[in-house]
Amino acid sequence: MENKVLLVAEHIDKRFGITHAVNDVSLTIDAGEIRALIGENGSGKSTFSQMLCGIYTIGGGTFTLDGKVLHCRNQVEANNEGVAIIVQEMGTLSGLTVAENIFLGHEEPFMHMGVKDTRAMNKEAQRLLDEYGFGRIKAADMIDLYNFEDRKLVEIVKGTYMKPKILVIDETTTALSQNGRLELYKIMDAIRADGRSVIFISHDLGEVLTHTDTISVLRDGEFIATVQTKDMTEDDLKRLMVGREIGSAYYRTDYGEPVSDEVVLSVRDVSVPGQISHVTFDLHRGEILGFGGLSECGMHEVGKAIFAASWERTGTVTLADGTQINDIPTAIKHSIAYASKDRDNESVILNESIRNNIVLPSIDDLASHGLLSGKKLTAFADKHAKDMQTKMQNVGQFVSDLSGGNKQKVVLARWIGKGSDILVLDSPTRGIDVKVKQAIYALMAELRKQGKSIIMISEEIPELLGMADRIIVMKDGELNGEFLRDPALSEEDLIAKMV
Amino acid sequence: MSNTIAKLKTSRYYGLILLGAMLIFFYGVFKILTPSNFGSLSNLYTYLQSSIIYSVGGCGLYFIVVMGLFDFAVGANIVLSSIVGVILSQKFGYAGFILGCLGCGTFIGFLIGMLYNNLNVPSMIVTVGLMLIFESVAVFVAGGVKQTLAPELRFFSGAPGNIILAGLAFLLMYFILNYTKIGTYCNAIGSNEFTAKNMGIDVKKYKLIGFMLLHFFVGIMAILTVSYGTTMTALTGMSTMSRNFQPLMGTFFGVAFRKYKMPITAIIVGEFIISIIFNGFVALGAPTTIQNVVTGAALLAIVSLTARGAKGSVVK
Amino acid sequence: MSNTVKNEQEPSKLRTFLSSDTFKGMLPFIGLVVILFVMNIMTDGKILTPKRLRLLMSQVYYPMIVATGVFFVMTLGSIDFTEGSTLGLASIVVSKLSFISIPLAILGGVLTGAFIGAINGFFHVKFKLQSFIITICTMYLFRGVCAYLTTETAVPASAAIKALDQNWLKITITVAVLLVAWFLFRFTRIGNDVKAVGSGEIAARFSGVRTDRVKFLVFVAAGALTGLAAFVNVVKVGSITATAGNQLETQILISLVLGGLPITGGAKVRFSNIIVGTLMYTVLNNGLVMLGYESQTQQLIKGIIFLLFVALTIDRKALKVIK
Repeated sequence: MENKVLLVAEHIDKRFGITHAVNDVSLTIDAGEIRALIGENGSGKSTFSQMLCGIYTIGGGTFTLDGKVLHCRNQVEANNEGVAIIVQEMGTLSGLTVAENIFLGHEEPFMHMGVKDTRAMNKEAQRLLDEYGFGRIKAADMIDLYNFEDRKLVEIVKGTYMKPKILVIDETTTALSQNGRLELYKIMDAIRADGRSVIFISHDLGEVLTHTDTISVLRDGEFIATVQTKDMTEDDLKRLMVGREIGSAYYRTDYGEPVSDEVVLSVRDVSVPGQISHVTFDLHRGEILGFGGLSECGMHEVGKAIFAASWERTGTVTLADGTQINDIPTAIKHSIAYASKDRDNESVILNESIRNNIVLPSIDDLASHGLLSGKKLTAFADKHAKDMQTKMQNVGQFVSDLSGGNKQKVVLARWIGKGSDILVLDSPTRGIDVKVKQAIYALMAELRKQGKSIIMISEEIPELLGMADRIIVMKDGELNGEFLRDPALSEEDLIAKMV
Repeated sequence: MSNTIAKLKTSRYYGLILLGAMLIFFYGVFKILTPSNFGSLSNLYTYLQSSIIYSVGGCGLYFIVVMGLFDFAVGANIVLSSIVGVILSQKFGYAGFILGCLGCGTFIGFLIGMLYNNLNVPSMIVTVGLMLIFESVAVFVAGGVKQTLAPELRFFSGAPGNIILAGLAFLLMYFILNYTKIGTYCNAIGSNEFTAKNMGIDVKKYKLIGFMLLHFFVGIMAILTVSYGTTMTALTGMSTMSRNFQPLMGTFFGVAFRKYKMPITAIIVGEFIISIIFNGFVALGAPTTIQNVVTGAALLAIVSLTARGAKGSVVK
Repeated sequence: MSNTVKNEQEPSKLRTFLSSDTFKGMLPFIGLVVILFVMNIMTDGKILTPKRLRLLMSQVYYPMIVATGVFFVMTLGSIDFTEGSTLGLASIVVSKLSFISIPLAILGGVLTGAFIGAINGFFHVKFKLQSFIITICTMYLFRGVCAYLTTETAVPASAAIKALDQNWLKITITVAVLLVAWFLFRFTRIGNDVKAVGSGEIAARFSGVRTDRVKFLVFVAAGALTGLAAFVNVVKVGSITATAGNQLETQILISLVLGGLPITGGAKVRFSNIIVGTLMYTVLNNGLVMLGYESQTQQLIKGIIFLLFVALTIDRKALKVIK
């Protein structure tokens, strides 16, 4: 069967300063095709597609859609050319109605000599919502009245109602619940059936393998290959992404090692309104305890609650010696560390030096009689940053200059430096490339051997299976199942408890 | 059941009820305390006439405040524009007066917007600097003397002139918010500037438009202010700072009631409530020197009730 | 092709230098030298005579004490507009108490300032309200209280307190304040905590900084220092009118900005900002007075220089979106 070529990308190029983000990438996409774009973080897949959609200016090369060369300066111009994007972050705007959000930048059909026909706009928006089966969302309402999931659905309507020739879905599924994902897959299939195309960017290789026709792989900004999905396995893809075999040392390989009975932390009846309810569990010495579930299941809040960073938490978090953890400074003082999923806001201070980021929790330990010595602080930060093999010029460099993986290294250096015994790591490898990932797994295994306890909250099931001694699965804010480390444990077992 | 209540809480009637309840509450308190010299119908009419002047400015500020910006030069521009208006009125009558106020006002807005856009400095800081500059410019323009509006040009000094002009301003605001893109875009920029930019909104252009609209309304406010007071003296030394706050109070009401989709009503009623509180204190015999105390406390109470940040939010 | 793209994105050397931290760090010092130089020429060297310099210094003391407190507030990335009215009210308290005992008067002034600072801090922290809005509200509130207390006549201070109007005392207080503040800022965790809150409040909280407490205490400290400055002010002026401390907040804001303090606060503040800034403002102010400009001309020039300096020194990288 001969397919019509829809999009031709020729010699696409982009630099950010010294970083060559996209390096001479050429590829073609057929009409009626769902094309996955995969690669590690920093491989250039988002930059590539955002150039297509006018979010970034094109550094070099051309995109030709249906025979026409694109020169989009922003999303609206891209929309007019038949290119639309659904982004990872919140793409709807507060303070606007649902209808205003859907037609933002596309008010022209409703404008008559500069006057906006609000009634017609609401009516049309409602018609679209009904058509997509999202009729419970009301077009004239303020978008603020709806939750994240519904707002994502509004975004899907916004991205697809004008029937774009090509739709880019940039890591949207991570933000969606299972139901939301299914809605999105349905829409993707509909677009394919209509002879239009989708560029689907995702880290979730399972999803890529089941919902796409072809896969293009990028690595370090360079185009590697385009392959047929049906010929591929997850390992094949990983090999293409990384460019080498992933050694067996990727995850832990030991099974059946006993875990100490000694309880270091007990969490009793912890609730946070609207997030988690009646969470109770124990953490043992030298244990890696995994928390899994869908992204909105409340597991991320569990990490915050243990660290006493939640607002309005009830219930108790108690250490072996009876210390109650009720505020962050107490938690840190008693050897609890926390690395947030929201690294840029909650873990590192971007506009600060690596040095000050690393010393911050340890500052009382480093002071003698309340006095600080600049030299001592620098030496401390330098030692721990280097132990983690952080790529930097020196510790005076600002964290904002570092890549995601190196930022995470700074976070870990900070807590290793503090000597914390209980580490709560929320999505520790999120958005981090495979090399650093491997280093983090090795570090976790090492810390575990030293008798430290780790709570690993993760949305990646293989990571939980590979690293945890015990896995707790959460659903709708409650604990919904517990599994012990076992080579026979499968992803399906966990998923069954998640949904 | 709880769903119905949640639904009710977001409907515009809930907002109206809330505003009405506040109005009745404050009116009631002062009426009980000083039944004889407060709150007769003609009293209320007087309070309304002074409050609508500020409401006009409050409407203008709304465009800027929803974008997350701020403007300290409103007061300085009221003084400057009304002085320009009065000077021009001496030659060109009403045309000079009205066009002088509106033209000077809008031009100052244009200047502020351009400087803000090109200096890349927070609006609060730019406008503090510009306030200093506009104040001294106003002194130069006025030649250091008190400017008086000629008696034959005082149509807007009282009813119905002032009410007609303010009413027109409110209608204009309603039209802009509901029937042009400006309202939508200002809200979009306030919500998330990056996303707004990606949606093809020319953020700089709409910020400039926002400042120009604000200062167009400030121009209207200048007409009403100088008509009401009949004279205007330009002073330096941040003396215009206090003029920023009365309109701002209304704007805070407007922003707080935005979710009920009734910002303009909230601005007008909010200013009226504040006017009632002021006059209530005066009726109670509070000395005039204590007026700033009332301004400060009232504004503090309003922002505490309406502009609170969410728990855990970063507020500088 | 990629080469041309690269060239487009490469700013000129001069531009790079102008936006570099090195240049921004030097700018206040250059500014101070330039302003001194220009003023010296324009006044035919009169500004650098010993007599004039003494007068100049006498105007530096209390603004410098106040600026030290505000420096910490601005390092948080917050802003404080209450200095003027705090100084006014605290001066009234100092004057009234000076008839009883001088130490009590000082204590009273400091406590008054701390009390106003505590109100600011409380509303700012508890209600999560922007500091500039809060401090404008309280500025009005306490300006009103000042006006009320001075409605009839100016408030006189005792002869005993006026007898303290000696340079050594004022120098000692100012230098002591600067030294203590510098020590706290540089050698204890206070400085680190304040800067951390300024650079990234959420992450600072997750790193164990008691952010709300830090913010509250900084506002209290700023108020207390203004209260102490009120004592120095009373010693100098002897009686307090309704205009005491008028416009002090703008003066301090302009001084610190001239000193190179980025209004975003955070990691890039320097303690020297206080000293350089206050000196620069005082020289500028005195120069303009000596040159015989009218007050509106002086204000015009100050406004322009203020805007120029903000534009040159601001750390735009720290602002994700400029509001």
